[in-house]
Amino acid sequence: MRGIVYLARAYLATALRERITLFWFLVFPLFVLALFSAIFANVGQTTSLTFDIAVVNLDRGSAGRVDFAASVASTFRELSQPGASGSEPLFKLHEPAAGGGDTEATLASEIDALKVGKRDAVVEIPAGFSDALLKAAEASTGSALPAEIRVHTSGGRTSSDMALGIIEQVLVRVDRHILTQLGLFDGARVVVVGRQEVGSENRALGYVDFLLPGVVLMGFLTAGLFSVPGTILFGRERRILRGYWVTPLDVPRFLAGFSLGHLALCALQFVCVWVLGRFAFGAHVNLFQPLPMLYLVLSVATFLALGFLVAALARTPNAGMAIANIVNMPIMFLGGLFFPTGSVPPALRVIMMADPVTYLADGLRASVGVNTASFPAAVSLGIPCAWIVGCAIVASLRLKWDVGR
Amino acid sequence: MKAFRALLRSELSVFLRDKAMLTFTFLFPLLFIVIFGYLLGGTGSASGSKLGLVTPTGVDGSRLESVVAEVGVAQLQRYAAPGDLEKAIVARDVDFGAVWDGATLTFVYDIRRTQENFAFEELAQGIAARFDLANQGRSPLLDVVPMVEGGERNADWFTLVVPGILAFSILSAGLFAVAGHVTSMKQRRLLERLVVTPMSPVALLAAIVVVRLGVVFLSTLATLVTAVALFHVAFHVNWLYYALFLVAATVGTMGLGTLLTLVVRQPSSASSLANVLSMLMLFVSGIYFPIEIMPSFLRALSMAMPLRHMADAMRYTTGVMDMSELRFWMICGTFLIGGLALLPILARYVVRVDRR
Repeated sequence: MRGIVYLARAYLATALRERITLFWFLVFPLFVLALFSAIFANVGQTTSLTFDIAVVNLDRGSAGRVDFAASVASTFRELSQPGASGSEPLFKLHEPAAGGGDTEATLASEIDALKVGKRDAVVEIPAGFSDALLKAAEASTGSALPAEIRVHTSGGRTSSDMALGIIEQVLVRVDRHILTQLGLFDGARVVVVGRQEVGSENRALGYVDFLLPGVVLMGFLTAGLFSVPGTILFGRERRILRGYWVTPLDVPRFLAGFSLGHLALCALQFVCVWVLGRFAFGAHVNLFQPLPMLYLVLSVATFLALGFLVAALARTPNAGMAIANIVNMPIMFLGGLFFPTGSVPPALRVIMMADPVTYLADGLRASVGVNTASFPAAVSLGIPCAWIVGCAIVASLRLKWDVGR
Repeated sequence: MKAFRALLRSELSVFLRDKAMLTFTFLFPLLFIVIFGYLLGGTGSASGSKLGLVTPTGVDGSRLESVVAEVGVAQLQRYAAPGDLEKAIVARDVDFGAVWDGATLTFVYDIRRTQENFAFEELAQGIAARFDLANQGRSPLLDVVPMVEGGERNADWFTLVVPGILAFSILSAGLFAVAGHVTSMKQRRLLERLVVTPMSPVALLAAIVVVRLGVVFLSTLATLVTAVALFHVAFHVNWLYYALFLVAATVGTMGLGTLLTLVVRQPSSASSLANVLSMLMLFVSGIYFPIEIMPSFLRALSMAMPLRHMADAMRYTTGVMDMSELRFWMICGTFLIGGLALLPILARYVVRVDRR
């Protein structure tokens, strides 16, 4: 027993002494959690974004009874003012100088600026806009065409697509405002719009609660896939393992010590990720319950077994790392750790359904109420167990513990 | 010249024999493309989305249905009860749903589809706004006409991801040519044996550069062809700019690799550092996620990442995105001049006696 504990301690100490191991096992999962939380927790919200747009009003001077074009332009002007709390405005607005200049030439130069990324969008209010709008307002439903506003965007730029979406929303509000002003829209008959979310039993959870179990599993997967073949194959090639075999230590006890050390490393990793998720990003998900803990331990065991499988299949450490790298990406992404895995072709679906990460991620998230389970618990627990047994059989048949043997 | 030819042959053989390197160079980008293409192909765009609709008995849903048809939902599926709709959303039979009870229009989303919901919500806002007007017997007074200027008209997120992955392939090839291949030769004392021959370090570096350039060209071409063949991504490649950028970026990233070898004590650490750096750059340079959705500090950080500028230039050469000629030439010039300026330092590193 003492030998097992010594080995576990040695495994942990070696891992913690290597800066590169520390990076991949501790820093990288924390980085992924921080990055994904920072990006996706607020995705679709525009509070932190400012779009560089130009508004070119070609309708100046051609307005009829009401200058709607000026009203549209002033709406964008208002949205380019900083918020009351000093927050960044929604738009950084570029307009031709008041009262002068060739607006057609301004439009052309703004479009040139848009093409090279200096603007996110150019709003063009065409000549005759106010007249067209008035005609549309006076006509009965559908009998007159709506007044056009052209929004120029730059192809292949996400900021431009996002700016278009925001401008469309602004113009919907302008549309409503004009209709209300003209007495054509009854505010009392507005359709109430509601929102509901499904897919999780606990609606109070945020994106970080969905992400946290995924990052924990990613950490375990990386540790299992890279650390196990790395330690065994490098140890074998550099004849470090041979040193063990001249001691009274046998393979089963070596495996027990190795696995215990690996479990300790994963526990440390889990605590670090959980602490960051809980206290820095406000995750509420409770992983310290029997069923989630069972899934976590099963995950460590499954990925440890996968690591042994890679070590058994590879002849050299470099080949082991190459196999681990190639296997890591498909099983991580197809397992649904970070992205939804809805519509994939049959070939990838087969990999998805064979992937133990699919079941572990689904089972773990369901056990903490983050999502509705897609598989029965027996399947979520059974398939990873089958992988452990399969990997153990292959490893026991193929894995060589010494270069000379 | 004879030495160069011999070194070129040996470098090529070494590369072709190294299965791990071959896998990383050719298989890795293809795997990226295939997995990301299928998983994330429609992300960020609501086109092709399926809407589930519930209108209880006695409530007229025809006006809502005609509005839904106008806004560009690809498929409308009707359900008898909200419970059925919820089940369909959870099972991904539909992307999101709407329940209209005659007074309230409730949109239903799958909480797990965080990365996609913002696109569905945008579509839902459009439906709600139009339905609101239609419900009062009005049509919109304003019609927004989008006009795409330059770049790829129908570029979705995946179209942007592909050139990003190509840029990452170039970065990896250049970076690891030095902070992997050369340092490994140093570690294994191969360089010590080579420098006592009549070979000049410049010939060795030239052979490495030529082999990497060939490899980068083939691997990026294979990735491009796969993306076009499997996912019908539209690229309008300017082959002259593409080739020029490839040369500049490969030399530039080899220069970056040189810098890494100079800051580490052990040659083997350079490859680990290169691994860490390339992974960090991959996440914050707008390869996986658009830079625009990142928090402002990450957007600022991305400006300092060579990979961000490489990805932008690659998007320009593949016709996905427009940029000013000046910026393109500045990117190419910076990489080429930077790389060429650092190659003499690399040559000195090659002949320098290893630290023991």
